[in-house]
Amino acid sequence: MRQLTYVRAETIDEAIAAHGRAGAQARYIAGGTTLYDLMKLGIEQPAHLIDIADIQGSERIDTNGDRLFFGAGARMADVAEDRVVRRDYPVLAESLAKAASQQLRNMASVGGNLLQRTRCPYFRNGAGGVYPCNKREPGTGCAAIGGLDRGQAVLGISESCTAVSPGDWPVALTALDAEILLSGPAGPRSVPVADFYLLPGGTPHLEFAIRPGEIVTGIAVPKTDAGRRSTYHKIRDRETYAFALASAAIALSMDGDRVRRAHVALGGVATRPWRARETEALLEGQRLTRERALAAGRAAFAGARPGTHNGFKVELGARTIADAVMIAAERNA
Amino acid sequence: MAFEPNPDRPRIDARDKVLGKALFAADREVPGLLHAMTVPAAIAKGAIEAIDAAAAARVPGVVRVFTWRDFADIRETPATRGGGGEVPGYQPMKRPAIRHRGEPVALVVAETLEAAIEGAEAVRIRYRASDFTGWHDRPGAEREPVQTDRSAGDAPRALAAAARSIDVTYDHPQQHHNPIEMISTTAAFVDGKIVVMEGTQNAAAFKFGLAGMLGQDPAMLEASSPYVGGGFGQKNQLQEQTALVVRAAMLLKRPVKLVMPRSQLFHTATYRPFSRHRMRIGASEAGKLEAVLYDVEQQNSRFDQYASAHGEHVSRMYATPNWRSTNHRVRIDVQSPAQQRAPHEHPSSYATECAYDELAYALGIDPLELRLRNDGAIDPISGKPFTSRRLAECLTRGAKRFGWDRRTHEPRSMRSKDGQLIGLGVAAGAYKASMAPAVARLRVAADGSSYLAVTGQEIGQGMRSAVAAELIDVLAIDPDRLEIAMGETAAAPQHLTAGSWGAASAAPAARAAALQLRERLVELVGAERANGPAHEVLARARRPFLEVEVSHRGLDQPEAVMDRLNRGLPAPAGPDYERFTAFSWIAHFAEVHVEPTTCRIRVPRVVSVCDCGRVLNHRTAISQVRGGVVWAFGAALREIGEVDPRFGRVLNNDLADYVLPVNADIGDIDVELLDEPDINLNISGAKGVGEVAMVGATAAIVNAVHHATGKRIRHLPIRIEDLL
Repeated sequence: MRQLTYVRAETIDEAIAAHGRAGAQARYIAGGTTLYDLMKLGIEQPAHLIDIADIQGSERIDTNGDRLFFGAGARMADVAEDRVVRRDYPVLAESLAKAASQQLRNMASVGGNLLQRTRCPYFRNGAGGVYPCNKREPGTGCAAIGGLDRGQAVLGISESCTAVSPGDWPVALTALDAEILLSGPAGPRSVPVADFYLLPGGTPHLEFAIRPGEIVTGIAVPKTDAGRRSTYHKIRDRETYAFALASAAIALSMDGDRVRRAHVALGGVATRPWRARETEALLEGQRLTRERALAAGRAAFAGARPGTHNGFKVELGARTIADAVMIAAERNA
Repeated sequence: MAFEPNPDRPRIDARDKVLGKALFAADREVPGLLHAMTVPAAIAKGAIEAIDAAAAARVPGVVRVFTWRDFADIRETPATRGGGGEVPGYQPMKRPAIRHRGEPVALVVAETLEAAIEGAEAVRIRYRASDFTGWHDRPGAEREPVQTDRSAGDAPRALAAAARSIDVTYDHPQQHHNPIEMISTTAAFVDGKIVVMEGTQNAAAFKFGLAGMLGQDPAMLEASSPYVGGGFGQKNQLQEQTALVVRAAMLLKRPVKLVMPRSQLFHTATYRPFSRHRMRIGASEAGKLEAVLYDVEQQNSRFDQYASAHGEHVSRMYATPNWRSTNHRVRIDVQSPAQQRAPHEHPSSYATECAYDELAYALGIDPLELRLRNDGAIDPISGKPFTSRRLAECLTRGAKRFGWDRRTHEPRSMRSKDGQLIGLGVAAGAYKASMAPAVARLRVAADGSSYLAVTGQEIGQGMRSAVAAELIDVLAIDPDRLEIAMGETAAAPQHLTAGSWGAASAAPAARAAALQLRERLVELVGAERANGPAHEVLARARRPFLEVEVSHRGLDQPEAVMDRLNRGLPAPAGPDYERFTAFSWIAHFAEVHVEPTTCRIRVPRVVSVCDCGRVLNHRTAISQVRGGVVWAFGAALREIGEVDPRFGRVLNNDLADYVLPVNADIGDIDVELLDEPDINLNISGAKGVGEVAMVGATAAIVNAVHHATGKRIRHLPIRIEDLL
């Protein structure tokens, strides 16, 4: 058995201190649903695990005040079932409820979920040297480019990497301009979710704007009346327990039958949670029709660069946006 | 012979299974057990130049690292996986060569599973890689000669003369069984014998075939496989690791267990290979079939004898006076394919039943009507009558249950209230009604207990419940006090349970034993007093127990076939018998809803009506049909083994990325079994159901997708991008 140390932290400071002592081979672990998976695949090989699941108060959900607060240790299932979140921010609740399986949602934390790694099969499957992967082993090349790329991204890709950002929850958070709260050796800070996820560029192994030893402590979402007219629409290869082929997080503020403000973010099609500003601009100030929603959806893909088998994601993504916009618009504010 | 329909009865082993008392191979406790892990080959073809096992051997708990040098004396025989007939199969780790990606190249045995895994990861191998062919359309693919498998009349001439014809080609993808019970081997030593515990459909192969590979006397080997958690053909034979694990145990003189990880199963276990199906049909304007030319190519490994035999059942489906079906195999450098539920019948029914749907539309005839117009009582290939054929009844009853009459013929002509495109599709299927010899040893005691040892494997299909039904029917024994030994070579001769012949082989043997025991009771107490529950008769007669043993052969099988059974060799008969041809029959109706925007396909309802002879246990038989329909749904809309030909490897090798149906995918599956005994076939009136259940169901869904959308998608699975 590969030896590793395991400590359980009761406070954030304890966790950070333990990480500092353990060094670069340390990993924080909460629900474990991603880390253990990657350890079994040989992609993660930590020498030290610092368990942060029991940090007091880390599971706190607070929907009072002018922003929603989700402690990083809150379980996906608990946030998905929160009464206020379901009623006032269905986009958040749905993004969680449509992810993974109930068993996984019961274990996985909303903070850990932010750091989920790509499902690109060449990334996951290649430990042992069969497939080159710049994300797993920088500089080795990318087997997905020119390969079976049906699931790969069409937006935000580079010559080094086309791996899709897998999350649903981060897409909903992106639409709602969330802030990621972090704590580390240099103290606490917060990062807008838009800056938290990195484009692959020439460094696809760098995915998150998180510094060594830093820990996600919480997520803050500014309150908005667009929350009630919102949805997370996810199209996938089966009805449940599958990652998105294309998804759209939509929240709308309306002036009568006109869109005052549109929040649009995409999943399943891009290398990071993808804010679709072009779509938002085409919707704002407009009366909603399906045609207009579809045209706005298509605008999000103007810069798409499909590969061999994933060209369908451009049209599917546009139609997913259009359907999601119409679903959100029909919801009662 | 008149039968009362069997009443509804629970699965005889339901309680034990729910309580976890039914132990599967890898769950059985063996004292002093060692654990093994394989090292899979990282190249698709080539040679092993060097193996450095030093680091692995240093892992605490590792007992030994086996390499090809330790296994060179294992013999390759026809029993070795990938063999067949007189041709030896391929056993990995006999030599420093790699013939397919992922084959075992080292076996690490340790005191714990964790040490075995760590040891396996520490083995370093230096390969010399060769060029390889990773897919049938790549350079180096070796195309075997075309072989005709069925013919009648003069199909090419009749096709040329036909008033109307179509020519369509359908592709079927590679699929993997993915049983929930992982494939495992445990070799233990009991009373001086080697006992192999492995979930298998074929315990006999683990006694006789394995003995041949290991150079042992079969008398020194026993196989025990009382329960199997999903066979579906993947557990028909010895696995790649079986002989290695048993040899390792023999060398170490300690019991050894290996559970093959799922990711490795995609390369070490068998699977359904890619196949391409060209259908040319000639018909009259009125929709009478005049000629069918059906040509199939099927991908295969370089070394495997797995046949391409797609014409067997589809040639008997309809009254087709001129028929010719051909097969040829295309050999490439991959692991061996083999049987997967309805191995050829599912792909061939998919292709042909979709083609008939295309013909119906070319002629402007209702697709149900086209099938009914071409029903026939005589097998067009042999000219013999069928033992029983109620296909037309399946079609008409199914149509009524399904509400076929609400269907409008034009594609894209039906919509739901919420704007979804509705499609209604029909297709039919058949599967050979085979039988194999079986031995039944029955003991009924005055204390109310009974014991039956029988040839047959309980693979989850419900065979214990099927044979129990016969004992209850004849002897009124108490099922709660009935013990049934199956899949145990020490209890009765064993035979491969596959090809849907299981129940039709074991149930008649059990019935024959029960009838013989009833005769013995009559001899004992006289005809008037021999009625009622057998154990009560014995108690009244003050006889502690009675025991009988019968050997039962399939229809027309000579006595010599028992010798094959006793040597562990497959000996099934059918579907071609001396006076008859025998098949089970089924009709499937599917309703699909297609979202007009993102084109998601749902199947809210399937109706299946099956002629599978007498129903021995309604719950297990209906469950088989439902399971077959779920499989067919998976084939139609979900499953594909994604092979990257640059690497010769299945990319989606886990249950997250190999997309199987989930509960939320499955709608209502309404099953009717005609429950008409086939008295021409055997004394139980039984035909198979487990395989026919799936045959044609994928085509019904694909045809419904066409009806909904107007699109003919001629590959599987049909996914969103096909309809956008």
